[in-house]
Amino acid sequence: MKLAELFKGKTHSWMMLECNGSTQNTQGSINQYFIHTEYESMLMDPGGIELFSPMLAAVLQHTELDKLTTLFASHQDPDLIATLSLWDKAISNATLYAPSLWERFIGHFDLDNLHFEGISDEGGEIQLGGIRLRLLPAHYLHSAGNFQLFDPTAKILMSANVGSAINAPNDNKFVEDFSQHVKHIEQFHKRWMPSNQAKANWIARVRELDIQVLAPNHGKLYKGEKVQEFLEWFDKLDVGSAAK
Amino acid sequence: MMTLGDDAKVVENFVRVAQIIANLESILTQAKNLSLTAKNARVVALRAGDAALGFKPITNFIDEFSEQTIASTTKIAELSNQLFRVAHKLVRSSQYFHQMTELKALVKSNQVEAMYQHALKSQRRAASQLSLALSELENHFEDIQKQMQSAEYIAVTSRVEATNAGDFSDSLQSVSDFIASAAKTIKTAVVYNLSEIHTLRGVLK
Repeated sequence: MKLAELFKGKTHSWMMLECNGSTQNTQGSINQYFIHTEYESMLMDPGGIELFSPMLAAVLQHTELDKLTTLFASHQDPDLIATLSLWDKAISNATLYAPSLWERFIGHFDLDNLHFEGISDEGGEIQLGGIRLRLLPAHYLHSAGNFQLFDPTAKILMSANVGSAINAPNDNKFVEDFSQHVKHIEQFHKRWMPSNQAKANWIARVRELDIQVLAPNHGKLYKGEKVQEFLEWFDKLDVGSAAK
Repeated sequence: MMTLGDDAKVVENFVRVAQIIANLESILTQAKNLSLTAKNARVVALRAGDAALGFKPITNFIDEFSEQTIASTTKIAELSNQLFRVAHKLVRSSQYFHQMTELKALVKSNQVEAMYQHALKSQRRAASQLSLALSELENHFEDIQKQMQSAEYIAVTSRVEATNAGDFSDSLQSVSDFIASAAKTIKTAVVYNLSEIHTLRGVLK
């Protein structure tokens, strides 16, 4: 497994964990994104137990461990943060940014070293090695306390579960034919996204951003015009299916 | 050494610690009943007057060891919280060590070797802390076991004294029976706990 480059700029780069060219390393595991600057690095949604040692091995190929200063948890799902107690042992001086709403849940990890920095409902910003990253509220998409991370320089939106495809083929990193991809995302979004109102609010805000890549927790990423295709499709989708 | 490589063993050992703690409640209840019995017996012995003269020092004795048992049990209850904490620490250290072993197989570098060694030391330190906590617990249970041996001896002596207490003989006889029964219950719980501690310590070697 290795970290493959998604973006390389003057100040920083974005990478994601790949296994033999495939984005999904273990069935059901999340996409793991890593931002690397000269002085600091950041891991987003640190993942489930099965990904800890492969991810740590991959990270060590790019940075010293004491430069891994920041973790970001978009929400509270176990496939995203089950490894928190292991990262807590591996990195002694890092900050975990996570929704304030989940603070009392995070407390149950009994963390010794990680410093918890709660993100208020309005969102905020992370400064990492001289770059600024926006924390975009995406509440009820799907979690009650949910954030996404937008990098205005790389034009990448780490969209958490929005855009995710579960159990989809992982032959390519990016969606090639959106009409073919719909069958892998439709049920997931109808069932896991609970609120049409939250969805519409999010789409309106996201349309104002200049997004080149939409990078979800699961499945292929959306690049260029595929981002707009996804937003248009999502806008029309009736969600919250289990309550109808 | 206990590792997460054997998840069933880890869970089994947590159940052992929980069982030891659950048994404390029955020991404490019996010890409190013993203390109460000693106070009641003292009243009966006073009413019996000269006929139960030999019973008074016995009630003092019952009172003394029941208080000691209550003190030991209370101390154990405090220790048991620590025991759970240390056991949990060991599970986490073992889990982390297991991950570092996998990392070492993936990456050969001085940094990874240092992390592996650090994880190994942490796991050993946690195992040693748990072993120490178990030792302390074992000592307290052994103290209670000695106190219950005294209780059994006193139950026999008090039976002899009870037969000389005339009209109060039956009341004092029931005191003796209760001491014998409570001591047996406590001893059974202690023997079980000592056996569980012995097994746990075996796992940590």
